[in-house]
Amino acid sequence: MNERDGQAIIFRFVVTLLVILALNFILPHMMPGDPFSTMASDVQSEDVIVMTEAQREYYFQYYGLDRPLPEQFFSYLANLARGDLGQSIYYKMPVAGVILLHLPWTILIVLAATAISTVVGVVLGIISARNRNKGSDRLMMTGLIAFAEIPSFLLGIILLLIFCVHLRLFPLAGAVTPFAHYTGVLDQIGDIAHHAFLPVLTLSLAQLTGVYLLTRNTLITVSTKDYIRTARAKGLGDHIVWSRHALRNALLPVVTRTGFVIGMLMGGAVLVETVFNYPGIGLTLRNAVVARDYPLIQGILLVVAVSILLCNLLADRLYQKLDPRVVE
Amino acid sequence: MPPYLRNAADRFTATVSKFSLEGKIGLCGIALIVMMAVFAPLLSAYPPGKITGGSLEPPGADHPLGTDELGMDIWSQICYGARMSLFIGLAVACIAGLGGGALGILAGYLGGAADQVVMRTVDVLMALPSFPLLVVISAFMGPSVFNVILILVLFSWAKPARIARSQTLSIKNNVYITAARNYGATPFYLLRRHILPEVLPILFVLIISITSYAIMAETGLAFLGLGDPTSKSWGMMLYYATNFRSIYFTPYWQWWLIPPLVALIVLLLCLAFIGRDLEQVLDPRMRQNRGG
Repeated sequence: MNERDGQAIIFRFVVTLLVILALNFILPHMMPGDPFSTMASDVQSEDVIVMTEAQREYYFQYYGLDRPLPEQFFSYLANLARGDLGQSIYYKMPVAGVILLHLPWTILIVLAATAISTVVGVVLGIISARNRNKGSDRLMMTGLIAFAEIPSFLLGIILLLIFCVHLRLFPLAGAVTPFAHYTGVLDQIGDIAHHAFLPVLTLSLAQLTGVYLLTRNTLITVSTKDYIRTARAKGLGDHIVWSRHALRNALLPVVTRTGFVIGMLMGGAVLVETVFNYPGIGLTLRNAVVARDYPLIQGILLVVAVSILLCNLLADRLYQKLDPRVVE
Repeated sequence: MPPYLRNAADRFTATVSKFSLEGKIGLCGIALIVMMAVFAPLLSAYPPGKITGGSLEPPGADHPLGTDELGMDIWSQICYGARMSLFIGLAVACIAGLGGGALGILAGYLGGAADQVVMRTVDVLMALPSFPLLVVISAFMGPSVFNVILILVLFSWAKPARIARSQTLSIKNNVYITAARNYGATPFYLLRRHILPEVLPILFVLIISITSYAIMAETGLAFLGLGDPTSKSWGMMLYYATNFRSIYFTPYWQWWLIPPLVALIVLLLCLAFIGRDLEQVLDPRMRQNRGG
């Protein structure tokens, strides 16, 4: 927690971003195979149309893959600066367009899961801290910690088997019912919520324990401080001491943690979306990997990585703004 | 029994006797899974990659857990899969934990430019979003067990290095180190006598947590179809089962999808229990800042 001054944080952000850009550029060139070997075929279908040598050369030239690497890197950076992420080879449309098409679904489930895990985690943390070392606290600690060790996508498969396969309560794929005719906005929102429910639940459960432990532990630490004793000595009621004195200070790290939570969920969404066949950018990344669609993989990695970095940066800055003890 | 072996055995029993109930359960679970991996050829009637029955046979006398779509025995895949998952997890954890730890000690002990280089690399590595990068890098490097291990090591040596460095730094500035040096202690002696005994227990706890991280990550990559197709790890079994069309509309998931799922969860929970107890027994200082 030293090195928390603003310049160091921004410097690290820029260096990390540069590393990602460089990796992002160089990796596709190390990949075995090339995008044109499966270009003309559908990902899911078995038949692969093989191109002639002349056709391949034409496409290599068309996409600029025959030029020297530094030249390709600079044109990559220049295009990025213009917001041009290139052309998706598999979807045959701009990468930015493909990402924009799928990103809203990912943002939807990530934000919903962030909100739910934070609220529920804080509430459980408060309950646990107030009943410290009693039965309910011990039970929650053991249960939630054990729970946190199950990776989110395995949890997702379990939920999918219970709720979709066994109970048939939720759909197995998609974000909306195909070809649905909605009677109104409420109907449409209901349909979206119905599809998003399990992915959101899975992601929330994955982050719940972290928020819970943080709230519980900071509350317990705060409650031993002198100013809490002073507040009690003044004759303030238990409720006021907890809500005004303890909670206000204990929630500070929780608020700043939210930024990191969003970042972690963006990463976790890749697998969870695959489990539920939820059409966010995680599932798109997987399809792009299968189809060896270089530009799309690069674009998605960039969007995910940059949003994680931005969330972390924001969390760090927020911490400085909210906590007057941290000197800038 | 040679004395150093007896010493190690005594320390092991002393550590285990301080474990909680969960920790002991975890230890038994890991012991079972290790036995399963070691004695896989004895426990299963068939080799895991051989077609020994009809396609998708339900559990029965011939195949205790049934067969997959190609007619391979699921129980023997589980037994041999334990080898794969444990091997990848332990290989990554040992290389990253000990290698990263060594780098950290070196950086902390030497200080100066070496320290700067290592720590700035650690900073960047820890800021990188690991899973999306893991997916993309392993997609590019091609699926093989070696590549998976290499990539996971690359992403997990940073934490042991950082912790080993900060421990070394705090030990280095103690008066007894200066005293020992004034009496003519060589760096190697200081390392062996003073630094390693303090750093190793913490590294050991980290190795356990990296093992479960590596197993999780390998499973995740395999689940996305980025595992080694020639190796049947539990993650690959999940991948094949979930990619079977209409698996959810047939009863096949009951014997094809559930076994690797349960095996993985048991393995990860056992590792977590052991890791938590080890942390409490070996390093009481870490107890206070849990969950931060």
